[in-house]
Amino acid sequence: MRKFPVLLLVALVLVPVPTRATGLVSDDFNVIVKLIEQFYHVKHESVPLLARAGMKAATTAAKIRGGEYKRLAEAGSVRVVFFEDQEFNARGGSAGFKTSVTKALSETWSPIIQTIDKDGEQTYIFLKEGNAKYSVLVVTIDQHDAAVVQMTLKPNTLALLLQDPNEMGKAITDDAMKDQPE
Amino acid sequence: MNGAIMKSLFQTSLKLAAVSLLLIGAGLTARAQDARLQLAHLDYLVSKASETVDVNIDEKVMQMTAKFFSSSDPDEKKIKEVISGLKGIYVRSFEFEHEGQYTAVDVESIRSQLRAPGWMRLVSVNSKKEGEVEVYLMTTGDQISGLAVLAIEAKEITVVNIIGPIDLDKLSRLEGQFGVPDLGIEPTKTRKN
Repeated sequence: MRKFPVLLLVALVLVPVPTRATGLVSDDFNVIVKLIEQFYHVKHESVPLLARAGMKAATTAAKIRGGEYKRLAEAGSVRVVFFEDQEFNARGGSAGFKTSVTKALSETWSPIIQTIDKDGEQTYIFLKEGNAKYSVLVVTIDQHDAAVVQMTLKPNTLALLLQDPNEMGKAITDDAMKDQPE
Repeated sequence: MNGAIMKSLFQTSLKLAAVSLLLIGAGLTARAQDARLQLAHLDYLVSKASETVDVNIDEKVMQMTAKFFSSSDPDEKKIKEVISGLKGIYVRSFEFEHEGQYTAVDVESIRSQLRAPGWMRLVSVNSKKEGEVEVYLMTTGDQISGLAVLAIEAKEITVVNIIGPIDLDKLSRLEGQFGVPDLGIEPTKTRKN
């Protein structure tokens, strides 16, 4: 009779449980989150603060698309992790981080845009082709905050975003911060 | 016995040298046909620069993008015309806080690639951008197969490399889009150098 709980416990330990963003499954998204944590000695937020985007996201996306605001991400495809109010020594370590992030994703993702601006804000956008859709992985890091976003885009959405790649990372991150549609 | 071994080794070495020369020749020919510049040697500048841009839009993404711009919408049609047939847009840009952060060797390693067969430098190209702006076109047969822009300032170095059928008119229409920086290029003459 005592065997059942023990077996159940063993099974729970052995079977990986996939979860969003903070999951135990080792995929590229989690690899990048871990890389940021190790590189900058920071910890990600376990509960994304989704509510704050509001009009800002709508404005940005509308500007990119040149028309009425529409969601960029395919429903249910968004994964987000935030790092808030922490020290990202971007100026000193951005070159090393760029090398690390590119190396970590080089087998499955193509680097599309990588920028580091005067304020030390880093943006990395990677692309992976799937079944008639594209996955984008966006990493943005400034001096005190960072975000990792992965989402699936339709090709026509991606095409429009690529027209202004400098705004692409911001548009995708803003879109990810909004609640997903039903 | 030693003589025979030496002779055999000598003959093998000659064959290896001949094969190596052939491979090097083939490599140079292949590179000469390829409008894609090798820019990885500039990577070390990331740690010195205050601002960097690295854009890599390859053929697959470029073709997918062109496909989704509408021919019926006038604005999208213009973009579609410009990007159709392009096989890639690659941009590397580094801006520094102080002068002397990049070397003459960095620049020469780019210019040496642009002296390869197929490339020609366009003269009388005006740019609103300060400093030196060099524009090169690669031709394969009578077709333009690529373009390179090398913009050099004391505190900035930018390389734009576009693969596929492109000219100065198309380049000026691409400026500010798809990662191509605004270089303010105005074609006046396209005389071969």
